[in-house]
Amino acid sequence: MAVTAFTIAMIAAPAHAQTLSDEEILGRPRPYFRLESMRMRVSTFEQEGRGYQSQAGPTLGPGSERMTVLQPQIEAVFKQGERLTHCVWLPIDVVTAASPDAIDRTPASADVVSNSSRQNVGGAIDWTTTYKADKKTDLFVRDGFHLEENFRSWNGGMGVTRSFADDNATVSASFNAYFDWFDRFDIGGHRHGRTSRSTSNGNLGFSQLLSTTTIARLDYGLTVQSGELGNTWNSVPLAIGDRGPEIMPDRRVRQAISGRIVQGLPWNGSIRASYRFYTDSWGIDAHTVEATLMQRLTPWAYVRGVYRVHTQDSAAFFTTLAANGATLRTSDSDLDRFVAQTWGAHAAIDVPDPRLKTIHFDVGYERYFRSNGLTVNMFTWSTGFRF
Amino acid sequence: MKLVLLFALFTTSCAVVPQNRRGKMADPMMQIADDPLEVYRKQKFYTTREGAAGGDGAAAGGGCGCQ
Repeated sequence: MAVTAFTIAMIAAPAHAQTLSDEEILGRPRPYFRLESMRMRVSTFEQEGRGYQSQAGPTLGPGSERMTVLQPQIEAVFKQGERLTHCVWLPIDVVTAASPDAIDRTPASADVVSNSSRQNVGGAIDWTTTYKADKKTDLFVRDGFHLEENFRSWNGGMGVTRSFADDNATVSASFNAYFDWFDRFDIGGHRHGRTSRSTSNGNLGFSQLLSTTTIARLDYGLTVQSGELGNTWNSVPLAIGDRGPEIMPDRRVRQAISGRIVQGLPWNGSIRASYRFYTDSWGIDAHTVEATLMQRLTPWAYVRGVYRVHTQDSAAFFTTLAANGATLRTSDSDLDRFVAQTWGAHAAIDVPDPRLKTIHFDVGYERYFRSNGLTVNMFTWSTGFRF
Repeated sequence: MKLVLLFALFTTSCAVVPQNRRGKMADPMMQIADDPLEVYRKQKFYTTREGAAGGDGAAAGGGCGCQ
């Protein structure tokens, strides 16, 4: 009888164990707050070019767009218990630019773009918290604040990511809102109070594993902006022989759709390709194609080469010589019709460390050049630690 | 309509890849996007130089002299 009871107990016990949760077996996890990873990236840009919006040149001709940018940024990821992940990101931009510098030199100018010409330091903080609602669903909220001399910007957003089919497919949706509040300067550098703009943005994304070595993703974004959509101090050459202020619409609706695919290659490499189509209510249509070829050299080192080509139409009201009475006008070279190309090379190493999970280093160079004369040389390097 | 057809083709033409055959996907070279700081570097660079950049989750545009 005892043997029979023991046998029944042995048979029944495993069946009962299968119904227990991890928490019931291992006990309730103790709360913790742990630094998961830390990464720092420093980038520097040297830009040369000429654009009609800049006053650093002849009255009716294009002015200098020379610029130097130093951009350090740091990101830390913390884990708070099993369900919460916090990502804190702090970018800083140090900018020296010829275009606002030219306004600073005008005799009447007192402060212009708050000395942004000589050296403008801007910083931001962005905090994203992700909550793992269940094994398939992540919810996130984000808040951010951008601060520089004449400019304040607040942003917030939320989103959801849900996986399907044993994590083979992922659907994501997010909504973001931005509010910018900044000084209004005229093209002579005089301040006229403050102005603002707001932006609302919604995104949908879908990613899918197509094979053991192929993954693809589709994204769609809709953005509506309203308010002061220029920087207020860009100028436009006028047919009367002088310069006048840029006059922009106070609303812009922008849509972008993009597709990306990553394919593993048999020789320990991979290729990532993407295409993006963009259209907006200012009459700009654009196409962008980018390809990245990666090759592993050793188990801990790989290199990648990048090529990107972007072509866009000009805004409907772009001009290099406007009639004085034009109700809308811009000479901003960024809103002109052009073809832009970028090529670059990067190298990365991931060193296994007995005390850390990984130490990461990478370094890269990229050159950007476009058909309306702008050229930029970029250097970037980063260090990361995964604990 | 073309978009719907593309989406339908995209979502129905693939087999499920079991978890134990996804080892290759853990390689950093197989990531669908760059690391977040590299994404920001590129996003900031292009949104301040190309009128057609942004519109897909990027910020409204910084206020610095680079605009």
